[in-house]
Amino acid sequence: MPTPSSPPATLRKPAYTDTGGSLVLPKQRPQSPSASISSLPFRSNPSISSLYASTSLAGSIRSSGASTPTTDTIPGGSTLYSDGKSGSTVANGTAGSPEVRTLIARAFAPHVGVVSSTDTEALLRERGFSGGLLELIRPYGESVSGRVTVRDSIGASRTWDDFGIRFVGLKDGLSSPRLPGSSRPSLESRSSGANGSVGSGRSKQSVDVPRLGGDVSQIEEVVDRHLNFAELRPSNPDYLSESQPDLQADSAKTSTDIPLRTVSPFYTLYLRRLLSGLPLTPHETFSHPVACVIATSSRNPAPIEEFKRLYTATNTGDDRLPQWVNNEYLRYYVLIHDEDNDDIQKSVALYEQMKRHFGLHCHLLRLRSSQCVPSDDDSTRLPISEWMTAGEELAAIHQRETSHDLEDPTPCLFESDAAAIRTFVRELVTQSIVPGMERLCAQWNEQVATRRKGLSGRLLSVGKRWGFGLSRNSSTPVPSVGSSSYDSLQGFYRPDTPEALMRKLADYAFMLRDFKLAQQTYDVLRSDFEHDKAWKYYAGANEMYLVSTMLNTPQPINKRLESIERWLEAAVHSYVHRCDAPFYALRTLLLAFEAAKARGSLSVDDAAKWPARVLAMSLTGPIGRALVMERIASCYGQHRRPGARRRKRALWSLMAADAWAERGKTVQAEQALADAKMAYGVVQQVPPELSFMIPVLQSLQERIVSGRLDALGHDEQVDEHVLEDEMPVDPIEEVVVSEELGGMRQPRRGLLATEGGGSGEMEGVPLSPVRTRSTDAMGDEGFV
Amino acid sequence: MSFYFAIIGTKDNPLFVHEFGTSKQGGDGVARFRDEARHMNPFIVHSSLDILEELQWGSGSMYLKTIDRFQNSHISAFLTGGNIKFLLLSTPDLPPIATGLRPPASSSRTNAAFSSFNPTAPATEEAIKNFFLEVYDAWVKTIMNPFYRVDAEVNSPVFRARVGAAGRKFL
Repeated sequence: MPTPSSPPATLRKPAYTDTGGSLVLPKQRPQSPSASISSLPFRSNPSISSLYASTSLAGSIRSSGASTPTTDTIPGGSTLYSDGKSGSTVANGTAGSPEVRTLIARAFAPHVGVVSSTDTEALLRERGFSGGLLELIRPYGESVSGRVTVRDSIGASRTWDDFGIRFVGLKDGLSSPRLPGSSRPSLESRSSGANGSVGSGRSKQSVDVPRLGGDVSQIEEVVDRHLNFAELRPSNPDYLSESQPDLQADSAKTSTDIPLRTVSPFYTLYLRRLLSGLPLTPHETFSHPVACVIATSSRNPAPIEEFKRLYTATNTGDDRLPQWVNNEYLRYYVLIHDEDNDDIQKSVALYEQMKRHFGLHCHLLRLRSSQCVPSDDDSTRLPISEWMTAGEELAAIHQRETSHDLEDPTPCLFESDAAAIRTFVRELVTQSIVPGMERLCAQWNEQVATRRKGLSGRLLSVGKRWGFGLSRNSSTPVPSVGSSSYDSLQGFYRPDTPEALMRKLADYAFMLRDFKLAQQTYDVLRSDFEHDKAWKYYAGANEMYLVSTMLNTPQPINKRLESIERWLEAAVHSYVHRCDAPFYALRTLLLAFEAAKARGSLSVDDAAKWPARVLAMSLTGPIGRALVMERIASCYGQHRRPGARRRKRALWSLMAADAWAERGKTVQAEQALADAKMAYGVVQQVPPELSFMIPVLQSLQERIVSGRLDALGHDEQVDEHVLEDEMPVDPIEEVVVSEELGGMRQPRRGLLATEGGGSGEMEGVPLSPVRTRSTDAMGDEGFV
Repeated sequence: MSFYFAIIGTKDNPLFVHEFGTSKQGGDGVARFRDEARHMNPFIVHSSLDILEELQWGSGSMYLKTIDRFQNSHISAFLTGGNIKFLLLSTPDLPPIATGLRPPASSSRTNAAFSSFNPTAPATEEAIKNFFLEVYDAWVKTIMNPFYRVDAEVNSPVFRARVGAAGRKFL
């Protein structure tokens, strides 16, 4: 920090007063404010960088594409979430890109519960998988190796490269039983076993950290951590080193042809976390289990009895889901054979016995039980789950930060095991889950939906609407015969009612990517739910109707824009005002926006309205706010001539820069500001006709610099003399400038208040003549 | 209501800016932009030029009505023969500010009027049109000045007074 006695040399004209130039302050900082708060070595753990790979390495391994969850060699020996790249290819941002469509389709994947016996868990804990079977197979479920063929309702086959399922704990999507003190017996047994095991902190997480998404504040925090990491990266490849010269070169070339800035990887991360770990709720069945894997190991003395016991637990026992979940999901029995200790002959015999007992939905999974270390020849790291929830990721980051172990704690497994698991997952999906879902879809479509959609169904519903026949307003939870009944007291449809089955049909169709059937079914449901005043169901049906419509119909939707906006309005309004579920409203708006963008046919002005509503309703936190602003800017940036939206883009970029600067995210702020300037056509100097912008642009730039200095000041108060030489300007001058500018005063104060530690100690610093001179030259508000 | 009126030259450069509040419904003619909104106004108006440049080919009339909105602000546009653009940004006042100086009974009514502010209502459109025409009148007379160059800023106090008078008269 400069002191009042600083020599005048430190007040030399700083380079950044040239608004076209780059900020020349050192970006490298050894520690972040958050790290100094936790007073723990932050950068000392090299393995942590792998956690941030999804945002920080953008571009370097992007090409590894959608099938990489099984990738074995990742640069730098870090595997943690590098497969996130497949999601961040969305960031390429071209209009009509198929990636967003893929992201949405992959987000709504069938959920498969995992239940395993205690001996299985013990076997896997010995190998370092403290999370048990779920931890082991989860990453492999997210992308099934090879192609998966799905037959849709009219009998046509479609093949998908990127089909996936989500392995979850059966009760992961439920929030209440996970609260401390009320955990279920099954959990307690799992946790008590884990605590005594070789596993490190990860076992605790699997209990403490619910694998439950839907918490916007956690999403914000995760993205915030990623951003902080990006701030700290010493060799930041993104901005100062390469893209700034690029941008300048481009804008110098032709100021009209503005290169498109790709969508920030942080936005993709935000979106992905938003769609991860969908909570288990009555009004949508995406997170309801489609199947359940029941696993026992060959160590068990009585495996068949154990299977039966676990099966009963999922039906009536501890693992029984709430009554609004349809319990007739597929059970898939897996016998885990311990390759190193047990006799394969015995296991095969047992497997034959299983097949006789339980039918075809069985699998013999052969795994080795000896611990695998990274130095082994055929060892491979467990891939990191791409769809982990925000809470899990936070816990993982926290654990890495606090751990003194320099090793990557991700457990290893043998390549042969990985191959076995991949085969198992593929078999599970292609032979059991997909055919089962297809069959149920066809069955429900025939028995329930067609009847409702047909003439008699309409008559029936009209009849009911006019009060003939059954009394629909009875609030008793008695299952009424053959008719729909919304239990308005408890707020759900029982799983055997036609409405619930149809919702399930629609969701199954959506998960199988048969968007046409899904769209038709949601359409029927919308009117039913509205009539029953089941508002959350109504909102959900509208939301998914909207999304499936956009993913389905090939023709332009501009004509139907009016109705699309009406559905969107219905969904958002119901979610926010009737159900108090802002998370879903946020999801609806962003999904609708991204789906519309992916189609590329919607006019940019109309599409940009939707994320702007996110801002207007403040559904996100400050991080999401800035990200959405950036997204709007890039959306406007994609609009090419004729009728380019250059100025709109600049405005939103500028606002994003302002929001970033307020959060102290200087790297992001700088990028957004550069984007804004480029769109405004600022090359080296602000064009004379836009001189009214100079005060705002400059004060923003100064806030970025001061934010960077604040962060420096936090960390290096010890080396004050070093800093004095480096620092061309001290942050207190910002106050002077911003007071002169009047308009900028408010946000600036907010920044000072939040970063109070850095600025409070600088009172009484003399005002810099440089500052006053440069602003005098500028004139006050630019023009009169 | 608070208004921000800008005249934009052919190179997107502002030639004249004037801020004023409504004089209807007991307004005192003072603009009540919030601090953070005030410094955004030039940028919002500037960004509306994108829309204006698209719409200007589709309509034969000089008054283009409401062309754009940003949050709760609406932007109306008027195009002169010399490709000079008049843009008027109108922002409804926040209720707490509006209630400050008025007796409760009337304030509740005006609040209702503000919250139901409809920029496409014929009366509003007509008022803005009249305002633009009056300003256009003054504008033409001002730029008849032989020393005026195209795209030069207008600093004439007479012109400013006439814009202010037009604002009081119609808005």
